[in-house]
Amino acid sequence: MFHFFNCAILTFGPHAVYYSATPLSEYDTLGTSVKTAVVYLVTALVKLVCLATFLKVSESDIFDPSQELLKALIGFIDVAGLYFALTQLTHRNISQNHKFQAVGLGWAFADSVLHRLAPLWVGARGLEFTWDYVLQGLEANANLMLSLSLAALGSLMWLRKNKPKTLIPIIYACAGFVATMPSITSYLRWGVGWRLPEVVGFQLFTSLTMALVSWQLFSACQKPSA
Amino acid sequence: MADPNTAATANRRRHVFDSSFYPVVALVFILIACVELCDASTVVDVYRLIQYDISGAPFGSRASSLNHHAGSSFSAPGSDLSRTVAILSLRELNETFIREYIDQGKPLGGLLLLLPQVFRSDNSQTVVDDSEYTDMKKQLTDLEQRLIHSTIQYPVYFAFEDEDLAKVLADIQRNDAAGQPATATTGGYKFIVTSTAPKKLASPTMTNIQGWLPGLKADGDSNQLPTIAIVASYDTFGAAPGLSVGSDSNGSGVVALLEIARLFSVLYSNPNTRGRYNLLFGLTSGGPYNYNGTQKWLRSFDQRLRESIDYAICLNSLSSGDNGLWLHVSKPPENAYVKQIFEGLSNVAEELGLKVGLKHKKINVSNSRVAWEHEQFSRLRVTAATLSGLSVAPNLLENTGGIADKREFVNEAAIVRSVKLVAESLARHIYGQEGKNINIFADNSSLAVSPSYIGSWLDLLSRTPRVAPFLSKDDAFIMALKKELADHVVEVNLQHDVIDGMFTFYDSTVGTLQIYQVASVTFDLLLLLVLGSYLITLFSFLVISTRGVDDLISLFRRPPSRKAKAA
Repeated sequence: MFHFFNCAILTFGPHAVYYSATPLSEYDTLGTSVKTAVVYLVTALVKLVCLATFLKVSESDIFDPSQELLKALIGFIDVAGLYFALTQLTHRNISQNHKFQAVGLGWAFADSVLHRLAPLWVGARGLEFTWDYVLQGLEANANLMLSLSLAALGSLMWLRKNKPKTLIPIIYACAGFVATMPSITSYLRWGVGWRLPEVVGFQLFTSLTMALVSWQLFSACQKPSA
Repeated sequence: MADPNTAATANRRRHVFDSSFYPVVALVFILIACVELCDASTVVDVYRLIQYDISGAPFGSRASSLNHHAGSSFSAPGSDLSRTVAILSLRELNETFIREYIDQGKPLGGLLLLLPQVFRSDNSQTVVDDSEYTDMKKQLTDLEQRLIHSTIQYPVYFAFEDEDLAKVLADIQRNDAAGQPATATTGGYKFIVTSTAPKKLASPTMTNIQGWLPGLKADGDSNQLPTIAIVASYDTFGAAPGLSVGSDSNGSGVVALLEIARLFSVLYSNPNTRGRYNLLFGLTSGGPYNYNGTQKWLRSFDQRLRESIDYAICLNSLSSGDNGLWLHVSKPPENAYVKQIFEGLSNVAEELGLKVGLKHKKINVSNSRVAWEHEQFSRLRVTAATLSGLSVAPNLLENTGGIADKREFVNEAAIVRSVKLVAESLARHIYGQEGKNINIFADNSSLAVSPSYIGSWLDLLSRTPRVAPFLSKDDAFIMALKKELADHVVEVNLQHDVIDGMFTFYDSTVGTLQIYQVASVTFDLLLLLVLGSYLITLFSFLVISTRGVDDLISLFRRPPSRKAKAA
C-alpha cells in the first residue's frame, strides 16, 4: 500500500504541483482542464475505434513497419483532439498564455488517469515489488512535459497570428516531432528492443529538451507582440 | 487580472462540487479494494505435512498458514528464526538442522522442503538404477518417518524443485551469504500460504471392495465349497497426503491382486476349468492403521463364511524384495495349511528361480499393533499368510506408501514374477496338481501374465494419492477399482466403515504458496523522501520561472493574508 502511495505521488503529483505552482490556480482554469480531459476521453475513444477498425491483430510482439506507420497516423488524431480543445472550446477569457497550459495539463492528466491509474491500482498495491511502477510514474512526468510543449506549439500554430516568419518552420518541425513521440518510443521499445528503464530515460531526456525548446520558441514569439 | 468576486464564487462552486464528489470517489475506491487480486511473482502448489492425532496425542504439523520472509541459512547459532520460513532442498538438508528444528522442536516461522522432480507422481523421467536417487530415497524415507512421528508447531510444506523456485532459492541463498537475511526492514522474499486453521475430519470413512469367483459344485453336493481369499490393502499413508501414492506399498499388491483375478476369471469362465474352490478377492482399506479395514471387513462376515475360508493370502510390497520374497505367518510352520502354502509357493519359486523364505511371528493379542494384514485373519482364527518383499515387520505407519514410494523405484519385473508365483501355486492347489511340473500360466500362452496390464495399473496407482481419510466414499479411484474388479469377478460390492476412533485427521492438505519479492519499509520511506523533495523542487522551480522569486518567498507568508481576504 505504501508503494502504491509512492507511485501515485510520482504519477499524479506533478500535475497537481504544476497547477498550484503556476498562475493557473490563480485564474481558476480548472474548468478548462476538465473540458480538455473530456475532449481527451472522446479522442481516445475515436482512436480506439480507428485502431480496432484498421489494424490487424498481431499475435506476436514483432515490430511490423506498415502497421506501426498506420498506428502513427492514427496517433495524429491526438493532434486533432488537441486542436479542437485549443480552438473550439469556449473559455472564459483567459490569456492564451494560460490557456495552453490548462489544456496541456488537462490533456496529460486525463492520459495519466486513463493509462496509468488502473495498472497502478492493480499492480503496485500488492506485496510484490517491481521498479515498473516507479518507471511508469517517471513516464507520466515526461508525458506531462510533452503534452505541455505540444499544447504550447499548437497554440503558437493555430492561435497566434503575428509570429516571426523565420520561426514558423521550426515550430512546425518541433510540433511534428513531439506528435510522433509515442510512435518513436514504441519503435524503440518493440523494434529496437530497448528495455523499459532505457526507454523511460530517453523519454525523459527528449521531453525535457522539447519543453525547453518550445518554451524558448514561445517566449521568442511573445516578444514582438508585447 | 480576474475579478476577485468571480474568483470567490468559483471557489465556492468548486467546494460544492468537491463535497458531493468525494464520497462517490471514496465509495468506488472501497469497492475496488474489496476485489483482492493475486499478483505474486511465483505461485507454487505445495503439500502440507500431515496433521493427525493418535488417541489424542498430536503429531505432524500443527499449523497451516504461512506469512513470513524466507531464509535459507542457519549457520549463525542462537539466531531467532521464529519469523523466518526456512526453504531447504532435500539435498542440503543436514542432520543438525533436523535434530534441532524437527526433533527438538526449536521455533521456526515455517518450513518449505523442496523435493527433486523424480518424486513427482506425474513425472515423466524414468531414472531407476541411479545410486544417487537410491540414496535420496533412503534419506527421504528417514526424514518422512521423523516428520510423521514428531509434533511440529510450525507449518511444514513440500514442493517440487522447478526453475522458478530454483531462482528464488538461489537469490535467498545469495542474500543470506551476503549477511542480509530477509526481514521487514531489509526486504526480500515473502512466502504466503493463506489457509484457515486446519479442522478435524468428521468421521473419516474407509471403503473395502470385495468380489467372488464361485467354484463349480459337483452335482448333488450340498456342502459349501471351501474358499481361498486373496487380499491386498490399497490405501496409503505418508508425510504429505497429496503425495502418498505408494507404488510399492501397496500398489504392487493391488496390481498383483487384479492380475490374479483376471487370470482366474479366464479359467473360471469355462466350466471345464472351473475349480472346486471359491475365490474371494478383497481390496481393503485402513492398512496403515493396524489393518483396521481388514478387521471390520472380516467382522462383517457371518460365521459360516468365515469357517469356509481355507486360507487367505495377503499381498504386500511385492517389489521391495530384491532377493526373493518372504511368507509371514503367525501360526507355527508345522501347521498343515501353512506347510501346504509354503511348500506350494517354494516349489513354484524354485522353477522361477526365486527364493521364498518363511518368517514366523507370534501374535501378541494384548498389543493393539497389527504389523501384517494376515494377523487380522489369525486373530479370528482364519489361517492366513502375508507374502511380502519386506523381511521384517514394519512399525506403525512405516512402509505405508509415503512420499519416497514412487513408480520410478518399483521393479515391475519383480511384480510380474510374484504374480506368476502366487497364481501358479494357487492353480496347482486348486486343481490338485501339487508337486507336478506343469505350467498353467506359461509365457506366450493365452493365460500368460500380462506385463502391460500390470504396468498400466501400476501407472494409475502411482498417480493417485490414496490416504483413506481423504478419499470420499464414491471417489473416482474407488469406483475404478470396483469396475475393474467387476470386469473379472462377480458379486462385487463396497463396504463402507468408519476409521478406528483412535486416529483423528485434519484437513488442508494442499495449498498454494505465493512468493512475493518485497521491498523494505526503509526503501519505501526513502522513496517517499526523494519524491517529496522532487515535488518541492518542481514547485519552487515553476513558481520562480512563472512568477519570480519574490512570489515564492511571499507564498510562505500568504496563508494568514488569504484568510483575511476570504473573511
